[in-house]
Amino acid sequence: MSVKHVLTTCPYCGCGCNFYLQVVDGRLVGVIPCKTDVIGQGRLCIKGYNAHAFVQHPDRLTHPLVRDGSQMRKASWDEALDRVVSEIKRISSKYGPDSVAVFSSAKFTNEENYLVQKLARVAIGTNNIDHCARLCHASTVAGLVYSFGSGAMTNSIPEFEDADCLLVTGSNTLETHPMIGARMVRAIDRGAKAIVVDPRETPLSRIAHISLHQRPGTDIAWIDGIARIIITENLYDKEFVETRTAKFEELKSAVEEYTPERVEAISGIPKDKLVEVARLYARSKKAMIAYAMGVTQHSNGTEIVRSLANLAMLCGHIGKESSGVNPLRGQNNVQGSCDAGALPNYYPGYQSVAAPEMKAKFEKAWNKQLPEKPGVTLTEAFELAAKGQIKAIISFGENAMVSDPDITHVEKGIRNLEFFAAADIFNTETTKFAHVILPAACYAEKDGTFTCTDRKVRRVRKAVDAPGEAWPDWKIACELGKRFGAPGFDFSSPAQVMDEFASVAPIYAGISFDRLEKEILTWPCTAKDQPGARILHVGGFKMGRGAFAPVKHADPAEMPSAEYPMILSTGRNLFQYHTGTMTRKSPKLEREAPVPYVEMNDADARRMKVAEGDRVRVSSKRGNITLVARVTRNIMPGVLFIPFHYAEAAANMLTNPALDPIAKIPEYKVCAAKVEKA
Amino acid sequence: MSEFKPTILAFCCNWCSYAGADLAGVSRLQMPPNVHVIRVMCSAAVKPEYAFKALSEGIDGVLVLGCHIGDCHYLTGNHRTKKRFPVAQRILKDVGIDERRLRLDWVSAAEGEKFQQVITEFVSDIKKIGPNPLREVKM
Amino acid sequence: MNDLGRKLAKIAFEERKADYLLAARDESGNVAPAFVSKGEDVGDVRMDVPYQLVMVLTKLYPWIGKGKIAVVARRCDEKALNELTKRGIFDAERIVKVGLACSKEQIAKCRCDDPVPSKVDFGEPQKGAASDELAGKLLKMTGEERLKFWVRQFRKCNKCFGCTTNCPVCFCDHACVLEERELVAEKSIPPGLAFHLVRSFHMADKCIECGECERSCPADIPLLTLRKLVKKDMKELYNYAPGNEKAISPLLTTLEGDKLEDDSNVC
Repeated sequence: MSVKHVLTTCPYCGCGCNFYLQVVDGRLVGVIPCKTDVIGQGRLCIKGYNAHAFVQHPDRLTHPLVRDGSQMRKASWDEALDRVVSEIKRISSKYGPDSVAVFSSAKFTNEENYLVQKLARVAIGTNNIDHCARLCHASTVAGLVYSFGSGAMTNSIPEFEDADCLLVTGSNTLETHPMIGARMVRAIDRGAKAIVVDPRETPLSRIAHISLHQRPGTDIAWIDGIARIIITENLYDKEFVETRTAKFEELKSAVEEYTPERVEAISGIPKDKLVEVARLYARSKKAMIAYAMGVTQHSNGTEIVRSLANLAMLCGHIGKESSGVNPLRGQNNVQGSCDAGALPNYYPGYQSVAAPEMKAKFEKAWNKQLPEKPGVTLTEAFELAAKGQIKAIISFGENAMVSDPDITHVEKGIRNLEFFAAADIFNTETTKFAHVILPAACYAEKDGTFTCTDRKVRRVRKAVDAPGEAWPDWKIACELGKRFGAPGFDFSSPAQVMDEFASVAPIYAGISFDRLEKEILTWPCTAKDQPGARILHVGGFKMGRGAFAPVKHADPAEMPSAEYPMILSTGRNLFQYHTGTMTRKSPKLEREAPVPYVEMNDADARRMKVAEGDRVRVSSKRGNITLVARVTRNIMPGVLFIPFHYAEAAANMLTNPALDPIAKIPEYKVCAAKVEKA
Repeated sequence: MSEFKPTILAFCCNWCSYAGADLAGVSRLQMPPNVHVIRVMCSAAVKPEYAFKALSEGIDGVLVLGCHIGDCHYLTGNHRTKKRFPVAQRILKDVGIDERRLRLDWVSAAEGEKFQQVITEFVSDIKKIGPNPLREVKM
Repeated sequence: MNDLGRKLAKIAFEERKADYLLAARDESGNVAPAFVSKGEDVGDVRMDVPYQLVMVLTKLYPWIGKGKIAVVARRCDEKALNELTKRGIFDAERIVKVGLACSKEQIAKCRCDDPVPSKVDFGEPQKGAASDELAGKLLKMTGEERLKFWVRQFRKCNKCFGCTTNCPVCFCDHACVLEERELVAEKSIPPGLAFHLVRSFHMADKCIECGECERSCPADIPLLTLRKLVKKDMKELYNYAPGNEKAISPLLTTLEGDKLEDDSNVC
């Protein structure tokens, strides 16, 4: 009889908690928190405690499937892989390699992301490689690269509990990052002043010192408003601004119009509260900004991110303990997926595709000529598929039919493809359209690493075998690469893949599986005897000076109209995870929040004669869905909130595919909608 | 400032106290109106969970009426009730909810007058204690 | 295998004839619970990181068909074993204890007044802690102040269910009353006072004050203090304290002290 406790990293959010999977004779029986874990400290959230529940579910994909006419039938791996390769080769030679797009997965390990981007670039010959960071923090990467030179969280998760001021916006932290929320709760218990700015009253708002509600889509106004107060009241760190930053004068003139009165008119935030917040943030010694989708998922998300960076630089709250600008990355490995280069414009380690010396470096490392043009993004790819410019997509662990905006249009794009291959652990709304479905192993069935939101590289360890003939994605990628005849896909373990990744990406240079057995490693980790930098930008910015961004408020792409008078915002809840592929198969989680719903303000509900639990239809220009109304005071009048977890009433039927021009991230947080009794 | 009208739940067991309540009604005995009577088969079927739920959501008082000890239709049901409710009351007190808001008493099928007396006393006591502060508390 | 491991293996496998051993040991830069078969390398055993091994055992036990299991047990583990055995969750014949006396630091952290197991194989027996400071403060407060304190604490609850999952004497894994929708509304965060009151009631006759609930709480709610307040109540009302090998809970007996006729497994 074999009983194992396998230490691994949670597959859900970007907190990166570690726990033990309990395995008896190959069967997963439970989760035990790891008491010495640096992130969780022996605690977990409800999803963590149920992270084993979906793994050995009977609906897991177990065999490759290929389309035969209108039916999917079982096939051998050889047949399935050969079909993928021959179709891609055919399409690539007929229409060019850029007619193919590859989607990697933010749920993948770093090693798998590295291999899949290599597959696209080396085996297929295109830079059309992207993943769902496009949908969540693309604006962070683009935004902070401009402000600081690096697009990642500047400080670390444990530091939240020592802050004396927390400015949290666009993040329902206790629901989406519970263990980071736990650190904030601790800080609040110790006397820290938390400022939460969110159109909804969230669990964190309930215990905050100051809770403010802004109209969705008005963030630059209030953030610039705070910057203006900090400047005009001389609360800014003059020395820091003079010696470490550039474009202060441009910022000063850009924010001048955002007086507290103007900010109140635009956003609804009371002017005295704005002043209070500005002074509190500026005067605190250890002030941390934390943010997530409420900031990034806008048609001007990149600019909103930069406006937050402005505040940190104005006050010198950067490059030291419990400070900085901290994007809370959603997926368990969305940070790592970006680090490993599953991006159309970056090679692994954020080395630019457009830079000739980088291209040369990677051509040498990978022994193959590489495509020159940066590729298309995930959000653009479906549009291009609909237009017939993208002919084939290989999608690894991405459920675009539930997660991408304007699903009707996504479907149009997918249906127009000549070839669509999908690898996943369960059948989803997206695998329905595939010509080839490849069964993949999940986190509990493979070795590798995830990089959590504060840049710690964490081990994922195999606890049980994958069901049936499912393979870990690193093996799928290698086999595909070999069949394409490409060099460099001969790996017998993920540890070897990490070694190669470390050899081409300086920020990961010191990372190896051997080291991870003994120590906590954080990137940038540039040498084998360094633990890595917990805090970024200490003593200075890589590019010399941080850059202020003179950004201005702009209305969201789609404003309420006579026909669609409400603002619809979409998001998440604590119990389900993203498109629900895993959580809806976990009984305790599904029981907590089984039914799709729309949150609406109680005054609005009264006016429309809608009661709690009534079925209502929510419509936008893109479509309509029917779901249950949750009447609450926790949301502003005129605003609706729908979580996007429920495929049967998919919020993304309604969302607007308007993209941020720089980051190409969709405006999930604002579109125009109407609600009526169903 | 209008007079405090308490909201009170009275769980009455089918065999004894509910019959006693009926008797009080049929006998036209005067009783305060703010009591919602809920019939259960036995006082033991009233899990402390119900009392906790009611009180934490703002109900002003919960009354549990069972058969006299020795008279329980299910023999030892009311033994269970008698053992549990003091613990429930102590827990309320530990958390800061006035434990007098939860009361256990025994009323037989023939005791219409006792029913009237228990109800009237409880309502009057709750009025003195005041409204449940949890009514206004939003978690 | 370190010295501690060698000594532990000898006691568990040779002296006490166990087939398996549940202990904590160093692994991959952390301290892990480990279930070791006789003959296997026990590893570098650690006794300073407070894993509640009886809780770990309750998750594994249904899958281990036969054999004797030795478990490193502190006094609280021992009391938990007694409660679970009384309720038929464990077969006493199959569990073998290896007694661990807690350090002064651990005793202070748990505010533990009963820290010495019946047989001490490891550690130096120490005196119990004097009292729980917070409990003392709460008892002196008015009802209003106490309510304000607990409402503020419970407002932080994020429904992780860590308190129940990590509780060694919580065994209703698939039918937990706290998941009944009438009691705790779905999707409610925080879950409302009733959640915590019900938990306290269910724990009243079983809680052995191991402190796991408090240690597992991401919101740092002083749950152990609340348990200690209820323990005091049980002592005053029924002169009863959980953890005894034989004494049946007063909530499961008639007024004459006979066991109630229903299944004592029901929580």
